[in-house]
Amino acid sequence: MNPLLEQFLSESRESLQGIGEKLMQLEKDPASSELMTELFRFVHTLKGNSGLFDLPELTRVLHAGEDLMDAVRNGVVAYSPLLADRLLDAMDFVGMLCDEIEKHGSTNAKHIDNSVRLAADLRQLIVVVIVSSDEVACAVATPLQPQNSNPASQLPLADLSEEIRMTAYRAAVSGETLHWIEYSPSEECFFQGDDPFFQARQTPGILWGGIAARHVWPALAELDPFCCILDFTVLSTASLEELQEYYRYVPDQVRIIPVPGRFFILPHGDPNGGPVYEDFVADALGLLQSGNMVGLTRATRSMLELSNPDLWLSAALRWLLLVTEQEPENVVVQEVIIISLRTLTHPDWHELDASTPIQDGDAVTPRFKPAKQTPEVTALIAAQREVLSMPNDVAWLAGRLKSVAASLSGCLQAIVSTELVASMDVALNESLEQQTSVPLLRWLDSQFEQTPKADQPDTSDTIYMPETVAVPQADAAVKYGRRSEDAYVGPKSIKVDQAKIDRLMNLIGEMVVAKNALPYLAGRAETVFGVRELSREIKSQYAVINRIAEEMQDSIMQVRMMPVSFVFQRFPRLVRDTSNKLGKEVTLILEGEETEADKNVIESLGDPLVHIVRNSLDHGIEMPDVRRAQGKPAAGTIVIRATQEADRVVIEIRDDGKGIDPAVIKRLAYEKGIIDEERLERLTDQEAINLVFAAGFSTAEVVSDLSGRGVGMDVVRTAIEKVNGSIHLESENGKGTCIRLSLPLSMAVTNVMIVESNNQIFGVPMGIVVETVRIARADIRTIKKNQATVLRGRIVPLKSLNMLLGQHDPPKANEEDELAVLIVSLGGESVGIFVDDFRETVDIILKPMTGVLAGLSAYTGSALLGDGSVLMVLDMKEII
Amino acid sequence: MAKTIMVIDDSATMRLSLKSGLELSGFKVESAGDGLLALNQLKSGIKPDLIITDINMPNMGGLEFIKNLRTLPGFRFIPVLALTTESQQEKKDEAKKHGATGWLVKPITGPDLVKVIKQVLPGA
Amino acid sequence: MSITFKKNCVVFCDMAEGEDAESLLEWLQKHPKGKIDLSECSHLHPANLQVLMAAKCSIFARPKDELLAAWLDTALKTV
Repeated sequence: MNPLLEQFLSESRESLQGIGEKLMQLEKDPASSELMTELFRFVHTLKGNSGLFDLPELTRVLHAGEDLMDAVRNGVVAYSPLLADRLLDAMDFVGMLCDEIEKHGSTNAKHIDNSVRLAADLRQLIVVVIVSSDEVACAVATPLQPQNSNPASQLPLADLSEEIRMTAYRAAVSGETLHWIEYSPSEECFFQGDDPFFQARQTPGILWGGIAARHVWPALAELDPFCCILDFTVLSTASLEELQEYYRYVPDQVRIIPVPGRFFILPHGDPNGGPVYEDFVADALGLLQSGNMVGLTRATRSMLELSNPDLWLSAALRWLLLVTEQEPENVVVQEVIIISLRTLTHPDWHELDASTPIQDGDAVTPRFKPAKQTPEVTALIAAQREVLSMPNDVAWLAGRLKSVAASLSGCLQAIVSTELVASMDVALNESLEQQTSVPLLRWLDSQFEQTPKADQPDTSDTIYMPETVAVPQADAAVKYGRRSEDAYVGPKSIKVDQAKIDRLMNLIGEMVVAKNALPYLAGRAETVFGVRELSREIKSQYAVINRIAEEMQDSIMQVRMMPVSFVFQRFPRLVRDTSNKLGKEVTLILEGEETEADKNVIESLGDPLVHIVRNSLDHGIEMPDVRRAQGKPAAGTIVIRATQEADRVVIEIRDDGKGIDPAVIKRLAYEKGIIDEERLERLTDQEAINLVFAAGFSTAEVVSDLSGRGVGMDVVRTAIEKVNGSIHLESENGKGTCIRLSLPLSMAVTNVMIVESNNQIFGVPMGIVVETVRIARADIRTIKKNQATVLRGRIVPLKSLNMLLGQHDPPKANEEDELAVLIVSLGGESVGIFVDDFRETVDIILKPMTGVLAGLSAYTGSALLGDGSVLMVLDMKEII
Repeated sequence: MAKTIMVIDDSATMRLSLKSGLELSGFKVESAGDGLLALNQLKSGIKPDLIITDINMPNMGGLEFIKNLRTLPGFRFIPVLALTTESQQEKKDEAKKHGATGWLVKPITGPDLVKVIKQVLPGA
Repeated sequence: MSITFKKNCVVFCDMAEGEDAESLLEWLQKHPKGKIDLSECSHLHPANLQVLMAAKCSIFARPKDELLAAWLDTALKTV
């Protein structure tokens, strides 16, 4: 897949997750602007990114979502559960499309309908008229429009060289539009990164440019070079649209004036020479009237040859030649030029009849028409009219009226009809007083013609005008086949490729093992080679390496640590959706979300937790009326709490539902043949409750569509135990259930104690080792067949490791006839294990038993030691 | 000499997209995930010729970034383009007010991007 | 460096940036008769242009870039 798309998908998942999370939090705190801002950012980013790809279905929905969130963020629309529902629906849809893109590289066109519908559902919630950016752009752009009907007449075109003016004239004749641009950058523009000189130089279609200071320069000592007082002037052949686009960042600093081509016909020169030209004028007019263009051209040329080129006369003749050449049929202009020779004054083109058949000028500058007829204005007015036609019985009428008035007032200023603003204000006040849009609408109708419907812009794109907030069609609920618990996609905050971290983890593991070889080496140096000095040195080097390795290991572990919130965050939505579906009321409380554990541990928690919570929702929490009848609050509570206890993370899921009835469990277990009659008699209540972990056990009398996917608590237990975790269930009938999961913080490196027994060494996980003691043989009591001793006032049962492993050699005592006893804690009880001797504790990488050894339940795994030997790690729970 | 452009956006997708587009057009690209990170990079000696920044970012958004940027020596006059969307007209105006040179409307494609850059960056 | 200050002459080369304007102003205050060589200049930030205009200094070498030269002709005197 293309890396950009890959990045997009991974980031989108994160955003979707974030959106779900923020919506849940908003449900509790709907007024939080901070949450709102974050929510907006997620939707905004998603939408922005989706635009990079050709994914119209995706973008459409996200765009609607962004607009909606923008309205919410700006306080135009209030947050509501309906809004959350629709946004969640929309995000599920987006998530589904992402899945599809990941699988197939594109989305299926069949989603168009849903995409349109979801976008419409979202837009429907945007109640207040939103003035689209197009309209705003139109209002901003208007200063570009000419301020009076003939601004070109005041332009200092005579300052341009004849050459430039002739070029401009030629361009106009050939059909190009000419624009005079006055660019007056703001004084502080340099500090906005503007380089107005560069900007002016790059103007499209530039023919000429000039620079002038806005006022007289101060003395150098007082000059602030960074206060811009330059004005730039540009003559360009580019179209108005092109120029507006080019100067879009500074529309308020630019005036663009269209210039008719004939305005450039300005003879310029020394007016000396007197009235000797009268003959020529008469001849030329005669030739022109008789249509003898060849004769006119010849006469003009010979006159020009006789005259000093600097004379005003020569300039006029040159223009006459040019016009005759370019527009031979344009008799009027030629005539005006010829007649001007009599007075030696500029022809006044502005008085020339507009019907003069010059191809440029008015014809190419439609803005000379009353601006109120431009399509933008027409569209804007039509839109406002439509808004005013909507029902008046809404709470936000005043706001709507004001917004219409603001739009109109901007529009009026833009088309220089400011005198109308006052009368509009009167109408607005009337409307506000009467609580109806009629007066304003009447005013609008009186000022602007109704336009045929067909001319109206596609309002669906720019203005959203729902009549009411209707019931969403979404109730028929296409849920895109995603269940809320599926919305969780593995935590992605470790942005490094998982494989790289794993490799680091393996390497540090090997490092830890390799460094363990050094003490052996030190031992050999002393015992085998008898070099005590060297042995000491090796030991001190070992201490250094050991410290570094430990720190390194810690750091790598830290990288892999992530807060349980990654698992917890899916529950608000799960609980919300499920309880809604079941008609139950449930409050979810999450605690200790910041508790951290290894990524693998956190991930392994996900499915079991979902299952447990769903069990609570489905079987635990009662219906509200049942709860009330029992004197409980109607809303049930589920608490998920994470805490760290030593090197384990403990997750507790507690509900105040109906609990587990041991009698029911016993009966069911018996009926399902899980226990026999004899056991049924002896079973304690706690034991009965633990039966829910037995394979194939389900207490649900009716299997609802929620009670899992054929997964029982036995699967939960297996999943937890797989990561060296344990599960503990307590329940009080009628009061509620509490399940405790205890998991290691990390699974990569295990600290074990090495013990020796019957000439073999074994590892015992330090997690269960309470202490090591030596007990005099005399202190061992035999009670019936079992041995025990009293340790600090408590009786501790004693077992021999050899016996447990099926060997019969008695434990060896030391010289003082004391026996080594390893006290371990199993299920909260201490047990003493006889071993021959204790050795050191080491960090190992525990490899699970594989192949034919996998069946040996006495061992949890094996590990390689520094000296190359293999250490078998005991599974104490199994062997006792 | 190739001009250097700094791209600031909290979305890695957007950064990647702009970066590859710009690099294809022969620019050198530096990127940062938010305004604060960008300021730190600039203080540590990176000297871009143009900055393109998103507005809506965690830690430090685009507007605040531009405001801070203008107080850094050597960055008073650097052109800055704000990344916005078409629905954010008020953001565009605000960005200008805070010292941005102009804006880019997301999504922006290679040729358009280069066109705008050529407009505001002399010598590009 | 896009602006080089010589004994009695400032030489612009390629592009003069906004930041250069302060040193240019300073130099021109010390050398009111200083000459300006723009022949190798391709563009100058308007802050520099403002300094040149305000100092009413003499351009003894116009830019070789004719388009730039035409612009500057409207603002600066050439010797």
